[in-house]
Amino acid sequence: MYPNLLLPLLGVLGAALLTLLLVAVRKPVVRRLALRQVARRRTEAALVVTGSVLGTAIIVGALVVGDTLNFSVRQEAYRTLGPVDERIVSTDPAAGRAIADRLQPLAADPDVDGVLTAEVAQAAAVNTHAAQPVAEPRVLAWQLDFDAAARFGAAGGPSGLAGPTPPPGQVVLNEPLARSLKTGVGRPVTLYLNGHAADFTVARVVPQQGLAGVGIGGRVNRNAFLPPGTLDAAGAGSTHAVTLVSNRGGVEAGERLTGPVTAGIRSALGPDAGRAAVDTPKHTVLAQADATGDALGALFLMIGSFSIIAGALLLVNIFVMLAEERKTQLGMLRAVGLKRAHLVGSFSIEGALYALAAALPGVAIGIAVGWGVAVAAAQIFRSWSVDGSGLDIAFAVTPTSLVNGAALGLVIALAAIAATSARISRFNVIAAVRDLPVESGRRPRRRLVAVCTALSLLCALAAVPALARSQAEQTYLLPALAVAFAVPAASRVMPRRAATSIAAALVLVWTLAASVIRPRVFDTPSMAVYVILGTLAAFSAVVLVSENQHAVLRPLRRLMNRPTQQGLATRLAAAYPLAKRFRTGSTMVMYTLIVLVLVLLTEISGIMNASIDQAAADATAGYTLRVDYNPQTAGPNPLTDLRTGQLARRIEAVAPLLQARGQATDPGHRTAEPLETAVVGVPDGATSGIAFRDRLPGLPDDKAVWNALATHPDYVVLDNFFGHTGGPSGKFYAPGDTLTLTDPVTGRAEPKTIAGVLTSGLAFYPGTGSSATVYPLVLGEQAVRTQFGPQAQTAAALVRTAPGTSPEDLAGRLQASHLSASMVATPIAADVHRLFAANTAFFRLMQGFLALGLLIGITGLGVVMVRAVRERRRTIGVLRALGCQAGTVERSFLWESGLVALEGTLLGAALGVLTTWLMYQKSSAFTGLDGGFPVEWAQIAVLAVLTLAASLLAAAGPARRAARIRPALAVRVSD
Amino acid sequence: MATLTSDATQPLLAATGVRKVYRTGTVEVTALRDLDLTVLPGELVGVMGPSGSGKTTLLNCLSGLDDIDAGRVEVDGRDLFAMSDGERTEHRARAMGFVFQAFNLIPVFSAAENVELPLLLTGTAPREARARAVAMLERVGLGHRTTHRPSELSGGEQQRVTIARALVARPAVVWADEPTGNLDSTMAAQVMDLLHTLNRDEGQTIVLVTHDEAIGARLPRVIRMRDGRLVSDTRQPELQAAG
Ligand SMILES: Nc1ncnc2c1ncn2[C@@H]1O[C@H](COP(=O)(O)OP(=O)(O)O)[C@@H](O)[C@H]1O
Ligand SMILES: [Mg+2]
Repeated sequence: MYPNLLLPLLGVLGAALLTLLLVAVRKPVVRRLALRQVARRRTEAALVVTGSVLGTAIIVGALVVGDTLNFSVRQEAYRTLGPVDERIVSTDPAAGRAIADRLQPLAADPDVDGVLTAEVAQAAAVNTHAAQPVAEPRVLAWQLDFDAAARFGAAGGPSGLAGPTPPPGQVVLNEPLARSLKTGVGRPVTLYLNGHAADFTVARVVPQQGLAGVGIGGRVNRNAFLPPGTLDAAGAGSTHAVTLVSNRGGVEAGERLTGPVTAGIRSALGPDAGRAAVDTPKHTVLAQADATGDALGALFLMIGSFSIIAGALLLVNIFVMLAEERKTQLGMLRAVGLKRAHLVGSFSIEGALYALAAALPGVAIGIAVGWGVAVAAAQIFRSWSVDGSGLDIAFAVTPTSLVNGAALGLVIALAAIAATSARISRFNVIAAVRDLPVESGRRPRRRLVAVCTALSLLCALAAVPALARSQAEQTYLLPALAVAFAVPAASRVMPRRAATSIAAALVLVWTLAASVIRPRVFDTPSMAVYVILGTLAAFSAVVLVSENQHAVLRPLRRLMNRPTQQGLATRLAAAYPLAKRFRTGSTMVMYTLIVLVLVLLTEISGIMNASIDQAAADATAGYTLRVDYNPQTAGPNPLTDLRTGQLARRIEAVAPLLQARGQATDPGHRTAEPLETAVVGVPDGATSGIAFRDRLPGLPDDKAVWNALATHPDYVVLDNFFGHTGGPSGKFYAPGDTLTLTDPVTGRAEPKTIAGVLTSGLAFYPGTGSSATVYPLVLGEQAVRTQFGPQAQTAAALVRTAPGTSPEDLAGRLQASHLSASMVATPIAADVHRLFAANTAFFRLMQGFLALGLLIGITGLGVVMVRAVRERRRTIGVLRALGCQAGTVERSFLWESGLVALEGTLLGAALGVLTTWLMYQKSSAFTGLDGGFPVEWAQIAVLAVLTLAASLLAAAGPARRAARIRPALAVRVSD
Repeated sequence: MATLTSDATQPLLAATGVRKVYRTGTVEVTALRDLDLTVLPGELVGVMGPSGSGKTTLLNCLSGLDDIDAGRVEVDGRDLFAMSDGERTEHRARAMGFVFQAFNLIPVFSAAENVELPLLLTGTAPREARARAVAMLERVGLGHRTTHRPSELSGGEQQRVTIARALVARPAVVWADEPTGNLDSTMAAQVMDLLHTLNRDEGQTIVLVTHDEAIGARLPRVIRMRDGRLVSDTRQPELQAAG
């Protein structure tokens, strides 16, 4: 992922490493110092490396997820297109022949290495010779010249459909069709061609590759290839004429010639251009592959960024502790003449060594993480797609991603270490040598105050327009920065602790309240805004708590004062976090940050699930089934049959949907490419129960929108996912925005205005084998008929089952009785539930990925405890001499880490619930989710208990070591 | 609490044949060789000898902070090494006080919190413990420093807090290992005066390790060590506390 990041990243990394190398070579003292320090503290070194490994693993994991999704979507180009770059479809067979003739000369174009003409018809198939008859309503029956097909685009690789022409009465099936019919070579199969049953024998089964997988827009195509003349014999009623063009080069190389070849096709078509639709499926699929990979990779990177922040904090924390331990030593070095820059250099070299050691294992673990996420994602995507033909996940890793991940991990680690080193190298030499306590409560220097105050005012000024425009990132960040920069000035007029506490409280309140005050901040959700929100909330809350730990721990006072070993253990457990505020705070914030986001995800998923029944009602308006069928087959009109036929008594109402293929501009202006659109014309008043999340001002209710649609041909409605390619959906367009809708066959273009945004457009998504990238656009029936003419056909309907009839049961019966019309019946409510289940699963997946961050937090706690045991050796010795039991020492360490973990976890959980609740109250991101706000107590409790248990486990080792300290050795001065 | 129950002729501490060997890898150092020692209630005993002669080891072993390889130590009538670690720890809490050369105080506790520790460990009610701790701090001249953290006190003040802590629970014996080792001479004198006063006025038994001859000269009883052996035991009755 992100090949354009590669060079800048490597540049920055190279410069940083080169600088360090230069310092190491030119300053032997600095180098020696760094190397000796690495060797001195093995445990700490191991823990720093572990922290960096996890950080890198998370980055690499996210990028590998992106790679895999990109690759998986790309596979579709191989499976369903192969050599096919352009496709020219005509619904009129007579026109089709004329068009084929016009396109033949293209074969001589040097950019083209194949032109193949075929006829295709929607069909259905039955295998009556299986144990149970198996029917498949979604079949494409092709009639083509097999020799030409074998040669098609062969210069760039196999066409996917080689082999001899089957004799009459035989058929070549592709694997998906053979699989769904449970049949194989030599077995009989019945095809319904144009409504008539005809028996065939399976000549071959070909893998779904290239031409064998090709379709007219679907993602999984169940193809039957027939010898020339077969379709003609069945009557040409429903046949499309298709010309496929292969550009020079292999599957992906050919795509680059799409532009010129498409231009060539259009000019070759000349006056017939209006009778055929030209599309560029491979270009579309590959562009979509990039978009999907990028979007999901970015999503996981966003989720991962919380863990990465935790990882950086871990490094900062460790280096601050190391500096504390080496204080006297470093003071001595400074006293004998080592410059501060050298100290920074030495620390940075040491850090760089840790980070470099972490790079390789980080990448390895990252690949494993990415693989795990991809496997889980595969399961979820499979149940996500409407027709069960979801994306097949194929694991893939690009070197670009690995290098990017490793480099990004290193750069972040180096930046954190360099910044920390610069900070910890500023100390008073005398105080350090004599091990005096750092002066606290010193007022900040005048210059610092001036600069910070200026920055504060600047941020405050800049915040005004950002707030006015509800710009997400700035709305959160700028006021927070303004407050933070005001702290030095405030510290001159009040105690520093008060100033910090007030600032933290203000930032916290703002972070929580911003979405209430500016409800539109999530309209264009960037990934960054969630990261900013979570980070601000967690940091400000933790600063607030650690500055006021005394007050927070007051309830424990009674316990601490108990004159028992227990009392002493509690007292010690609370005393250190109170005294060591920086390390406690920076450990706690790791917990708070990750738990906050975990709970946020839990709550969002809970809100969605709570609204499921309402969502189903909003999406369906009481319709329980959607049927799609081939309207062109001979025989009785399925629609008439639904209304008056055998099954009519099980059906209460039928709303026919007029359908056409269209192309639309993006009303959200995210892309300049035309969006493939499933144009749907709804009969007046039939769907007025389907709900809207947003309506044009002046339309008081949902019914008014549907009425407006019936009377104004330039109104359209759509759902929130129009033009969406993955990641969290935003609000990129609103009622009143416009788009241009074009009939690709006639080229007729009309401007349209959005009258409403549907709460859920599920009922309008095509049910049969269409690609997921087709976005429905709903118009009045008459408007569709006017613009699209004969291209518009009634090919689907919404069906309301009569009371007492199960939609699933009716679906089965309808498919069986309308097999010849290839009818596919989909229970909509079941779809809604499946989508929700898949959503929940996806949230789980994100949570699982995020939980890696908790590992970092727990590692961080372990580091702090290991250090604490080392630092407190003598104190422990004294305590033991005074009569403190070994068990008490152990317990005090366990409780101390438990306290930090518990505080961080509770804080995160509370903030997570609060943030979601406030967002739920006002934010547009939750419009349409009206099932109430559930607090997911059980899940939060499980999360808290697991976190706490893991933290205690991490502290158990150091605690035991502390208990085993021998007082007689610990109190020796010479030690 | 007050464990000073035995009469003045019964030894408070009786060590017989104590032997201590340090083993580090293949090297064995015998730090105490068949050492016998008795200390009577109310005595102020100085332990002197060259560096490495085993003074600290003696103190650690006789107080039960460290294990011994052979012999027997009875303090206040109880055999230290017949007890489990837990019992011995508990016994320490009730019957012993400690002053080490440095790093004596719990850095995150205030002076009063440090001093009340032994009381809380032996179950004194918090209110009473605090009152006694403050009173004890006043006795050592630090009544105005009760809420200060150790880092906010001078070295001499820190050692006086330590002495307050060692004495607050009225232990049978106070062990002090070079308590003035890190102090300048004025502060050292203050600390020694305090120990003398406590021994004289309250009959507090104190075993004090020092290598400072000037300090030794003022002590009523001095034992000298070399190579883990007791080489002399001299009393100067005229310096002994009145009773
Ligand atoms: N933990 C130990 N491991 C090995 N040898 C030790 C240890 N502690 C002390 N020693 C040795 O035991 C002897 C006595 O030490 P110590 O009691 O500290 O003497 P003093 O306090 O008189 O200076 C010395 O030789 C010392 O090196
Ligand atoms: Mg010694």
